[in-house]
Amino acid sequence: MAKKILVVDDEEDIRTTVKAVLDKEGYEVKLAINGDDALKKWSSFKPDLILMDIMMPGTPVREIIPKMKGAKVAYLSVVRTSEAEKEDLMKSKNVVDFIQKPFDIKTLTTKVKKLVG
Amino acid sequence: MVKMVDIKKELGSSQTVMLVMPGTEYNETVVDTMKQLSGNICYVTANKTFDSLKELFVKNKVDVANVVFIDAISKSLKKVPDQGEGVYYVSSPGALTELALVVDKFLKHEFDYLVFDSVTNLVTYQKVDMCAKFLTSLVEKTKKTKTKAVFYAIGSVKKDPIIDKVAMYVDKVVESGGKVEVKSGVKGGSI
Repeated sequence: MAKKILVVDDEEDIRTTVKAVLDKEGYEVKLAINGDDALKKWSSFKPDLILMDIMMPGTPVREIIPKMKGAKVAYLSVVRTSEAEKEDLMKSKNVVDFIQKPFDIKTLTTKVKKLVG
Repeated sequence: MVKMVDIKKELGSSQTVMLVMPGTEYNETVVDTMKQLSGNICYVTANKTFDSLKELFVKNKVDVANVVFIDAISKSLKKVPDQGEGVYYVSSPGALTELALVVDKFLKHEFDYLVFDSVTNLVTYQKVDMCAKFLTSLVEKTKKTKTKAVFYAIGSVKKDPIIDKVAMYVDKVVESGGKVEVKSGVKGGSI
């Protein structure tokens, strides 16, 4: 059975590109346009991994993540943070990785494979 | 090694300069620019967080004692107050009205320099036309003060719509690596 991934990004280009890449790798992918949309889709889709942009319109991601109990989240971030801030963001039990944008396809697929198999 | 732009010289002849650089030269250019500028600086960031910039500047021995930061990133990532020591936080880079109000307030304090980091990062959070309107208005407002301004842009001229739009308003566009486009000084015109 294919592993399920929820891709959450307010940028359509990123969503569709990541979906195309992950579809090709055999994952079942669903898309969400922001944190609130992700929260709605998460409970029914039950993804093995959520790839989530760190800065999107709507409810801040830092308030969304704790509501997704048991979810495994990897941040996608165009923002450059300090090492201390990155550590702080990774403190949440749900957050398993931090992927800096822009990323290449190989980096993405390798990280996803490592995180969900 | 990257050939650095003599930003102080550029700002000597032009009040507003857009400094266009590839992403790979960003850190080096930002550090070098800050080392060159002396006086009171207002640094607006829609790119790195204040903590991240501070980390970069401290590591590279850039004196930030006379720098006030306007950070449009951190509030979206973590809980921060409206202001801290040497920093004022804006809710998001997409909140252009709020950002404009804060920058206006700071421009009244007649800083020697305004650094805007960066034109291209802003379009990650808002539509190009909205960003262009905000940025061109900021350029015009800066020209009514004595403050000199550097607008960073990551990318290349003629490839990024936002760079093209802002280029029409700033006095000079300098591409990291030596290419210089001198503007006529007439709004919208170029030589």
